[in-house]
Amino acid sequence: MPKQNWKEWWEERLGLESIFSFLRHKEVPRHKHTLWYYTGSAILVFFVIQVLTGFLLLLYYKPTLDEAHQSIQRLISEVPYGWLIRSIHHWSATMMIAFVFIHLMSIWLLKSYRKPRELTWMSGVFLLFITLGFGFTGYLLPWDELSLAATKVGTDIPRAIPLVGPWISELLRGGADVTGETLTRFFGLHVSILPMLIIFLLGFHLYLVQKQGMSVPFQGELKKEKLPYHSFWPNFVLRESIFWLILFGILITISVFFPRGLGNPADLLAPTPPGIKPEWYFLFIFQTLKLFPATILGISGETFAILFILAGVILFFFLPVIDNRPTGRKGQIITWAGVTLIIYALVMSIWSLL
Amino acid sequence: MKFKDSLISRRKFLNGVLGGWLAALGATIIQPVIKFIFPPYQEPEEVILPAAEYQLNQPNSFKVFRWGNKPGILKRNDDGSLTAFVAVCTHLDCNVTYLPEQRKFYCACHDGWYDEQGRNIAGPPPQPLRTLEIIEEGENIILRKREKSA
Repeated sequence: MPKQNWKEWWEERLGLESIFSFLRHKEVPRHKHTLWYYTGSAILVFFVIQVLTGFLLLLYYKPTLDEAHQSIQRLISEVPYGWLIRSIHHWSATMMIAFVFIHLMSIWLLKSYRKPRELTWMSGVFLLFITLGFGFTGYLLPWDELSLAATKVGTDIPRAIPLVGPWISELLRGGADVTGETLTRFFGLHVSILPMLIIFLLGFHLYLVQKQGMSVPFQGELKKEKLPYHSFWPNFVLRESIFWLILFGILITISVFFPRGLGNPADLLAPTPPGIKPEWYFLFIFQTLKLFPATILGISGETFAILFILAGVILFFFLPVIDNRPTGRKGQIITWAGVTLIIYALVMSIWSLL
Repeated sequence: MKFKDSLISRRKFLNGVLGGWLAALGATIIQPVIKFIFPPYQEPEEVILPAAEYQLNQPNSFKVFRWGNKPGILKRNDDGSLTAFVAVCTHLDCNVTYLPEQRKFYCACHDGWYDEQGRNIAGPPPQPLRTLEIIEEGENIILRKREKSA
């Protein structure tokens, strides 16, 4: 069959022309903040790398108490390029989370969450928590000393939440303590439940971005004239692909020169090794929890800290409802709050490392 | 655009360079992935058995041992010598068993038969059973892979 007929055959059945036509006509405005548009697709690139390297790791990983550590040991020492695939999975996760934070704060500071993009922001906050969930559950899977200790602490924290706390902790652990049950649960979360949730939410998030078009920050909109633009396909995609290739190069370089190591196998009965710390993206919360005194206003300091963080999370989620002013307004208080949050997180993270 | 005596247009040339570069990049990604997918299992070069556990005093007696991920059968022949077989059918890789009363190896998957020296005599097996080199060394019996050419 000639090429033209093949095209028609598929078009008749799938009707994808409307999507291609949409992408050809989609415009990406050019202004001094255009750079921030690249952060979203950077996350997507790392996500795809996570999925693909995750598939590969699944070929060798054994999610049981007796075999988990050993299977990783074999993966990084015997399987061809196993160390590299695992190292890429680790560093790509790190870079993905870094870009999630950058993406999020750029949207906060540019006020891109304002009407009509409230749901985009809210689905983004859910995506943030799922991403952190991936990080938290994935950290346990190699089953070494540090990952066991970090998971003990991490799954103990929700216990301080009034009423439902102990129940949440037990649900995560699969019992009163971190055991092989926890490993099975975290594995299931990491490779099945969280991926399903993230695909669903990511689809929703991306649909909204396409539906509403790119947000233009207030400086641009105030001018009232039409901004210059790139067509999304192929001009903007090609520009983005340069950025993707640079990121990919950085990722591979870091993965090769700083391969992810593996600690001693976890021992449920051994004392915790000194100096345990969570992954860097949890450090500021870790440090916040340490700051609170034993008791405040008659309730335990830990409960107080958890309630404080929960309140922060709720405010964060409802940011578009709190700041529902029209896009033209600058929103200096919100900017100031955003900058404060960034500085707070940085200071706390660095402090916890000292 | 095309120069007067040039064979290809500039666009074609650039597309070729870019496409070739992308193909090379793709290949450097695919190659480790393909290597990674296949686990690094290798058949053992040799297996050492404690002689005490593999006495096999009676002629026509046999004992199963572990040859990597496959079973092996060590058999005492009538003349007192030992033969070591890789107890896997040469047809489709099923494990075979030795039937001492009939002095035959039998594969239950597709009714394959070998005689006591491991020669394929009936059913689908295309080749005799693989045998291993035997070195009796003090308290050990060393079973070694034969070179392909032998």
